[in-house]
Amino acid sequence: MAQTQTPYALLAEFDTPADVMHAAEVIHGKGFTRWDVYTPFPIHGMDAAMGLGNSKVGWFAFVGGVAGYGLGMLMIWWMNAIDYPLIVGGKPMFSPFGAFPPAYELTILFGAFGAILGMMFLNRLPRWYSPLFKSARFAKVTHDKFFIVVESTDPKYSEAEIRRLLELAGSKHIELVEE
Amino acid sequence: MSSHSTTVGPGADSRLDLSSWKKVPYIVGGIGLVIALIGAMLDPKQFGFTYLTAYIYFLSICVGGLFLVLIHHLFDAAWSVPIRRVAEHLSVLLFPTMAILFIPIAIMAPTIYPWMTMDPNTDHALHAKHALLNKPAWYIISGGIFLVWWLLTRKLRAWSLRQDETGSAQCTYKMRFHSCWGMFLFAISVTMAIMLWVKSLEHQWFSTMYGVYFFAESVWFTLATVYFLALVLKRTGHLSKVITNRQGHDLGVLMFAFTVFYAYIHFSQYFIIWNANIPEETFWYIKREQGTWWQFGMLLIFGHFFLPFLALLRIDAKLSGTVIVPLAIWAWLMHFCDISYNIMPVLLPDGYDQAPLSIIMVFACMAFIGSVLAVVWIKHFLSHPAYPIKDPRLGEALGIHQLPGATTYVVAQYEGK
Repeated sequence: MAQTQTPYALLAEFDTPADVMHAAEVIHGKGFTRWDVYTPFPIHGMDAAMGLGNSKVGWFAFVGGVAGYGLGMLMIWWMNAIDYPLIVGGKPMFSPFGAFPPAYELTILFGAFGAILGMMFLNRLPRWYSPLFKSARFAKVTHDKFFIVVESTDPKYSEAEIRRLLELAGSKHIELVEE
Repeated sequence: MSSHSTTVGPGADSRLDLSSWKKVPYIVGGIGLVIALIGAMLDPKQFGFTYLTAYIYFLSICVGGLFLVLIHHLFDAAWSVPIRRVAEHLSVLLFPTMAILFIPIAIMAPTIYPWMTMDPNTDHALHAKHALLNKPAWYIISGGIFLVWWLLTRKLRAWSLRQDETGSAQCTYKMRFHSCWGMFLFAISVTMAIMLWVKSLEHQWFSTMYGVYFFAESVWFTLATVYFLALVLKRTGHLSKVITNRQGHDLGVLMFAFTVFYAYIHFSQYFIIWNANIPEETFWYIKREQGTWWQFGMLLIFGHFFLPFLALLRIDAKLSGTVIVPLAIWAWLMHFCDISYNIMPVLLPDGYDQAPLSIIMVFACMAFIGSVLAVVWIKHFLSHPAYPIKDPRLGEALGIHQLPGATTYVVAQYEGK
């Protein structure tokens, strides 16, 4: 195709977990923000090497849980005390004790919703396509190769500089992936 | 969360020196004993109840310590090796120290437990429960409970101390073996103890959750205290090399879990009774809505559950000494409210303010029992290595993996100190 392609990211391939971890430390140390590491299996210590903080998913779960509890209580109060009051076992029309178990269940349910939706939101999922799929070598990420990807949208992005850094860190193969 | 080699609490540079505090337990305990004895002569019944409250308050931490040792072995845990000695010394307080301290309760029992002096033919509930609630059964089972605790805690600690010398994995297997039968007898003995010594204060009442409720409360209180002790002993230098973020993380997570578990158990007990609405069950809670017991109940909901729950929700809070230390002290206060809530309404239906001397008596008894336990615990702690120095899992507990010489290295560091 004749149209000009915009670069998406630099993709660097590594042979061992130690190499990719070291390279991640270098990239993190240089202050890049829009980059990621892809490996066939989890590598212990990678979080620290990449400088990743505590996940923000907990906040979504917490907000979901609070919403679930509040909505559950509100629902039971409205149904039992306002919409269709029935006397059962001489109990008050609405009591937080009786309403607690269902409200608690909704806390768990909405907490789980919050966690899963928050996770998808933070990971920008669902996504049907990634330019990385264009790279034939990247298919090995599910097999025995380790990759670092620095996106071109990174404020510090400079192709020559990143190539130099990743080569120094031991990458055997670096390619430019286009959008 | 960072899993670096950073450690919880302040660094070793600010070492804590507690040598000038040596006399404190003797002074506090002595004052407590004098006040308790005067109180016992003035009002024996009040002494019985306040002493029982103080006794159960501290029984919690002994059975909680035993539980931490048991689960350590049953789960073949690595992370809890450095704090295991702290828990082992807590568990051996059960015998003979707690057994000796039980004598006043054994003597006062007919004054404390109304059913002991009642004719079972005049009280239907007592008649139905007479097989268990009679004087010989109460004394024999109480003795049996201490026998079980004696056997179990001694076996577990003896093998642990032997491992300090031999370093043999055989000791670990032995401790695991004793934990297996021990866990069953632990569950039965703690349930029986709390049923006979506390629940039978109101023999008409029913609650099948009472044993597990006391267990949940005890372990929560113990975890808070053990975490506090670990931070203190880290600063005094005894455990400075072995208390890392890993221990803080797992103690914090367990403390959080038991905050929820306790609330779950206590709410379930309340909810089942509230829902069934049967007088022989509801009276227990109605009694505890009178006078200032109402406020104690509210404290249990908001102070015993919501405050620690929200405070411990974040992982960085679970690792922070500035959160854990005040929270542990708060847990001691909440534990006091909880044990009072269970025992004292029988004597004081309107709350402690009904007889202001009673609160002084509770604190005097607590000062006495707590000081005795502290002195014995410190004696045990100082006469043995501060943690299982040759435990095969010690290296793993400190995050050293796949290093055959890891344990030897740690031992060399300890001995070179």
